[in-house]
Amino acid sequence: MERKSWQIPVTIVLIFVGILLTLQFQSQTRVLTDLSTQKTEHLITMVRNLSDKRTSLMEELATLENTLQELKVSGATDANIIENLNADLKRLSIVNGEKEVSGPGLTVTFSEYDPILYTDLVLLINELWAAGAEAIAINETRVNFNTVIFYGEVNNSMYITANHIPLSFPITIKAIGNPNTLDKGLTLPGGIIDNLALFQAFPEIEQQEELVLPAVEKKVPFYNARDVEKN
Amino acid sequence: MWLPILGLLFGAIIGSTISFQIPVIYVKYMSVAVLASLDSVFGGVKAVLEDKFDSTILLTGFFTNTLLAALLAYLGDRLGVDLHMAAVFAFGVRLFQNLADIRHHLLGKTLKNYDAHKRIS
Repeated sequence: MERKSWQIPVTIVLIFVGILLTLQFQSQTRVLTDLSTQKTEHLITMVRNLSDKRTSLMEELATLENTLQELKVSGATDANIIENLNADLKRLSIVNGEKEVSGPGLTVTFSEYDPILYTDLVLLINELWAAGAEAIAINETRVNFNTVIFYGEVNNSMYITANHIPLSFPITIKAIGNPNTLDKGLTLPGGIIDNLALFQAFPEIEQQEELVLPAVEKKVPFYNARDVEKN
Repeated sequence: MWLPILGLLFGAIIGSTISFQIPVIYVKYMSVAVLASLDSVFGGVKAVLEDKFDSTILLTGFFTNTLLAALLAYLGDRLGVDLHMAAVFAFGVRLFQNLADIRHHLLGKTLKNYDAHKRIS
């Protein structure tokens, strides 16, 4: 009987100790694995490793794409070649913005109360490309390789232009790509949205299931540029 | 003997199954609380070995020590005094003291010869 008198209270206490210990273990591992508590040197090595990995993966991707291209060419009948060329043409016209494109993506809307400069739009678009955007448009202007984003002035008031067309507020930037990835690319801590917030600009970011981007207004003619391989 | 160990395992299982997460800012206070609770447990075990065990003292001591340790650590942070360190020190010293006492008792129990031998020499 005397044995039990100490066993039960000790058991009760040990149950609580068990709960406390496991909870503390879990949260401590969470704290230790959290990126913000890591040492700078570790973080630097992590970044280096990851970027090394990225470079090697990109090289691998390039070689694989080369072999794919070679295989396509070697095993091609006439019909196949035409099909491939058509597919390439489609892809290129999307890249050049010669055709309307649709797909899931992200919209970023600046209202007239957001104090933004044209450089902010440039940075934002760079960030979107970096986050994997496949096509971008500002209001109704499709962004392609020769889009100019600048500013103009009328009566001491500044306006932003895209391809020399003044942009009217609200300025909406539409980007096609994985909505989540694009969102993360913009809203990561210390990212562009954080930077804009320092200047009291709070754009509205919305993930969209279906976006339609307009085609460029006019195609760019080539007079001087030639393919190097054929010369 | 086995019931307390089963209790510890049972508690560990409960702790790992519940999805409750302590917010990161409270982890520091929680660590002091865990230390205090460990101290109470070893104190209890020591009392059992010394035949001075009192369940009320253990239970009240366990809960009040744990809560007070966490609260004092928190209060210390509010006041800018590192009471956290004081608690770690106090409970740490007591923990090792209790552990040493437990070891002595166990040694005395299992190796009575050792004890007797020591007394003779």
